[in-house]
Order: sequence, then structure tokens, then C-alpha cells
Amino acid sequence: MQSVINFLKTYPALQIIAVLLVGFSLLSPYFLTAGNFEALLGANAVVLIAAIGMTVVFLAGGIDLSISTVISASAVIAGLVMAQTDSVVAGAVTAVVVGLMFGALNGVLIGYFRLTPFITTMATQLIARGIAFVLSQGIAVKGTPYWMLDFGFMLWMGIPAVTLVALGLVVVSALAMSQTTWGRHVMLVGSNQEAARHAGINTRFVEFSVYLFAGVMAGAAGFISIANLGNAIPGVGDTLLLIIIGAVVLGGTGMTGGEGSVERTVLGVAILAMLTNGLNLLGIPFYDQLIIQGVLIFLGTYLAMRLGSRGRA
Amino acid sequence: MKQKLRSLMSRQKWVAIAMATIVLAGVLSVVSPVFLTLSNFQAILVQSSVTAIMAIGMTFIILTAGIDISVGAILFVTSALFAQLYMDTESYFLAFSVTIVCATLLGALNGLLVVKFRISPLITTLATYSIYRGAAIHLTGAQNIPVPREMGFLGNGRLFGIPVPILILAALLVIGVYILSRTRLGVYARAIGNSERSANETNLPVDRSLIVIYGFSGLVTGIAALILIARVGGLQSGIGIGIEFTVIAAVILGGTKLSGGSGTVVGSVIGAVFLVLIDNGLNLMNASPYIYDIVRGSVLLAAVAIDRYSAVRQQASLEAQRAERIGLESEPNTAEFVPHPEHVTAK
Repeated sequence: MQSVINFLKTYPALQIIAVLLVGFSLLSPYFLTAGNFEALLGANAVVLIAAIGMTVVFLAGGIDLSISTVISASAVIAGLVMAQTDSVVAGAVTAVVVGLMFGALNGVLIGYFRLTPFITTMATQLIARGIAFVLSQGIAVKGTPYWMLDFGFMLWMGIPAVTLVALGLVVVSALAMSQTTWGRHVMLVGSNQEAARHAGINTRFVEFSVYLFAGVMAGAAGFISIANLGNAIPGVGDTLLLIIIGAVVLGGTGMTGGEGSVERTVLGVAILAMLTNGLNLLGIPFYDQLIIQGVLIFLGTYLAMRLGSRGRA
Repeated sequence: MKQKLRSLMSRQKWVAIAMATIVLAGVLSVVSPVFLTLSNFQAILVQSSVTAIMAIGMTFIILTAGIDISVGAILFVTSALFAQLYMDTESYFLAFSVTIVCATLLGALNGLLVVKFRISPLITTLATYSIYRGAAIHLTGAQNIPVPREMGFLGNGRLFGIPVPILILAALLVIGVYILSRTRLGVYARAIGNSERSANETNLPVDRSLIVIYGFSGLVTGIAALILIARVGGLQSGIGIGIEFTVIAAVILGGTKLSGGSGTVVGSVIGAVFLVLIDNGLNLMNASPYIYDIVRGSVLLAAVAIDRYSAVRQQASLEAQRAERIGLESEPNTAEFVPHPEHVTAK
């Protein structure tokens, strides 16, 4: 019993998930059905992948506002490449490379030139958004290969393929964070950069690498967004920033760094996904959902901070 | 002369953005003959008035090392409140006063949440951003509401031959400069930004000051909302989306440090004007509207990079001077961790 309580204390997000699960199941007969969960999982793969990147940046004590629109830019550029070549592989590679380039730009500016993460990524957010809109002329990119459209609806073992891709990235990232030297260095830099530097860690490279990682994740998320939506949409990432950051902090990863994990972010994404899905089923209009979402992000973060970690979120 | 200018620029951060603005204005006046006319000059100021006014409030928040992402939502919710109230009651007095009071309270609520829950201002205001925006659409039922024609006076009218938004901006600028340089609140804002812990330990009224500062930002945002809605002619669903980043960019371009403690109100206002000048220039060149974001982002990057570069150089020259005084080529970096003998004996 004690261990269960301790477990819940380490993951306060689980309490919220339990409440949402029971509440929505009682309120709507459609909530706890396989079809609904399929839709719920598929619709949130993009957010989950992007949130992995944001988590790692948070763990290192930084922030990356550009993730949201790098999703758009990589989706648009990958969409254009796929329209030209009709090759899905080329599209996937392009999306990841575009994300990688934005990540490298952020990483060099923040890690090596020591610019402030918030402002730097705010600027690259604007640049990525501009590129997405200039290249697409503000409209959805047409000519998505058929395989890509099928991929968006594909099920593997009853779970949407896009979700499995996202979960695969979660597992790889979680292992990288917990089992590799790089992961431990990220945590150390996040909890105390000075100490990490004096311990001989190349803090500049670590900072560079987390933004690079976040960029790659944003690129992957952009690619998956094409599968989800059928086309590359230049505004796809614009509204995602709040949800991505909200999911990470709801999961219990603080902004001050060194506290949290990629696994926790899965719980945070699950909370927001269930909330949106459940409220939609109940017919709550989107503006009331915005209010509920804001309150939940705030209270959930407070809860995570009080129960989970002693750090300041 | 060069030395003097450099020292002025390092002490008064806003001088840099002022010079950049003048240079850009010079370039634009060469490119376009209509640029250097009084009416275009006024148009630019009017166009920048909303972000400039909001930047005045944001300057104080960033000085405390805080941030307010929700200002765009406050702008939207107060516009909605005004339009709805006027439509329902047809009373200017009621609509104006309730709007301004609500704007102040919404800002102060941000401050209260930041102070009471100790969650970072970014997360707190990201949450209230969502709440305020949802509340505004809930209030108006996602309708576009026109405002009466007389309202246009606030946006396009003139008083003594000067456009009203410019007069309001000037008045708020004077008030902002006064608060920052002549009142305790200004001192507290900088003290909190330099070190919130020290401010707490020296018994400064940190919590109260933060609530007042976030409330002040809400207040000026409410005033900006009135100007905006008067200029646009009514409530539109897109009001305020993304404006928080423009406001923050204006403050940062104006030389205020995001880490808090140093910055000026004048710089932020010039930063807002500078951003409009860029738009103006792109407009003169018939650039695609989608290019604007790329240019804005690049300018912001260039500004922080230059700022960083000059800070590094200043640090280097200070260290060189110190080394010269002591008579060393350079100090070994490890020395700072050896405790000074005096400190050891003092304990």
C-alpha cells in the first residue's frame, strides 16, 4: 500500500489521469471504446513526439519555443519534396534534416554563442513560421503520396502506426536519457551548470545537443503531421506550443532543469489528450475547453511541483 | 567621440536601438520619397502605438525577471468586454471603466498567481493566456461586434493636430519613465530582477510590488485594447494572437535584459517603433506578407547577438584593464576558487 502511495506521489499525473478516465467513462458511453481510443492516440502522436524534444530541453534547463513552428516548416518542406519525388523516404529524411538544421542553429547560438534560449528560439520560431508560409504560399501542400495517407490510418496490433512511431521514439529517448553518459550529462547540466562545468562536462556541447535533439524531434513530428492530416499544413504548429509545454510540465518536468523524465511527459500528453477528447464527446465548445485546459495546466503543474519534486516549475 | 559614444551606449542601452531606428529611417527615406513626410511619420507612430503601450507594461515585468505571455489574451478579452458591454448598455462611461478595471485585475491576477503559487511566470501566464482567451470567446459567442463610429476618435482622431493614440502613448511613456526612475516601485522592480532572494531578505515588499507591476501591465494593455478596437472598428476574432511575442521583441530590442534588473521604458517604445519601421520598409518593397516573420526573427537574432558580442567585449576589456593594474598578463581562471586568506581567518 505504502509503495502504491509513494508511486502516486512520484507521478501525480497518474492521479489526474485516473480522475479523467473514471469521470469521462461515467459521463460519456463513447469514451471507453476502442474506436475512440484509436482516434485519441492517433491525433496526439505529433504532440507526443514534439513534447519529447521539449522535455529534454527542459531537463537541460533551457526552453525551445521554436519547436512548434519547426514542425510546420519541416512538414511543408517534406511535403514539397514528396510532391516532387513521390518518395516517402525522401520526405521523411527531408523533415528530419530540416528539423536538424533548425536545432543546430538554436544549439550553436545558445550553446556556443551563449545567447538567451527564450529570445533565440522566439526568433527562430518566427523564422521557421515565415519559411513554412513563404514556401507553401500559405496553403496546404498538395501531392502527398498515397502510402502516406494510408499510413495515417494504419493500425499495428490495434494501435495507430503513428502512435507506435511516437512511442518508439519515447522508448529510445528515455533509454538515451537514463542509460547513456549523454543523458546523465544533460541532467547534470540542467540541475547545476556551474558544477557540471567544473566536473569536466562539456556543457556547451550538451546544450548544443539538446536543441539539436529537439529539432530532430520537431522534424519527425512535422513528418507525422502530414500522415495525420493528409497534407502538409503551414499553420500546423502554430497552436501547439501551449499544448506541448503544458504536457511537459503537467507530466512533472520542471522548467528549472534536472527534474523529470521523458516517461513523465507521456503522462502529461495523455492528460491533455484525454481532456480534449472527453470534452469533445460531451459537446463542450472549444472556448470553454480553452478555459478548462488552462486551469488544469496550472493546477496540475502546481500539484506536480508540490508532490513530485521540490523544484520550481 | 567614438569612445564617448561607446560609453553612452553601454550605460544607456536604448541609445543603440535609437541609432538603429534612425539609420533604418534614413535608408527608408532614400528608398521612398513619401517616407520623410509628417503624415507618414505620424502613421508609423499610430501604427506602433498599441505594441508600444503594451511594451511599457511588459518592460516592468521583464525588469523583475518575469514574463507575461497572456498580454495578447488580455488585449482580446478587454476588447471583447468593451464591445459587448457597449452593445448591451450603450453607456461609454460604464464600458470604459469596467474594461479598464478588468484589464488591471486580469494583470494583477497573473501577478497574484505568480506570487502565491511560485510557478514560473511563463507557465502561469501560458495557462492564463488559454483561460482569458477562452473566456473572451465565451463572452461574445465568437461573434464579430462592431463599435460605434464615435469610438474611432480614440484610434484615428486628433487633438491639437496630433493623433490621439500618439498623445496617449506619450502620456503613458512619461508615466512609465517617471515610475521607473522616480518611484520606489521602479527601484523594487529592478531589485527583484537583480535578485529576488536579496529583495526578500532585505524586506522589500516583493509580493505586493509584483502584483502591482503585473496589474500595471494589464492596465496599459486595457488602454491599448481601446485604441486597437477603435482603429479596427470592432471586435475581430484574431485580435491579439501572437502580439505577445512582438511586444517582448520590442522590449528586448530596446535593451532590456530578459534576465531582469536592467532596462528602460524609452528603449521598449523605440523598439516597438523600430519593428513597425521594418514592416513599413517591407511594405515599400512590396514584399510578401509571409516574409515579415523571417525578417523580424532575423532582426531579433541579430540584436541579441550584437548585444552578447558587446557584452563579451566589455567584459574582456574590463578584465584586461584589471590585469594591467595588477601587472599580470592574464589571471588564471582557477584562482577564483581558492578562498582568500582573509576570508578564511575571518570565519
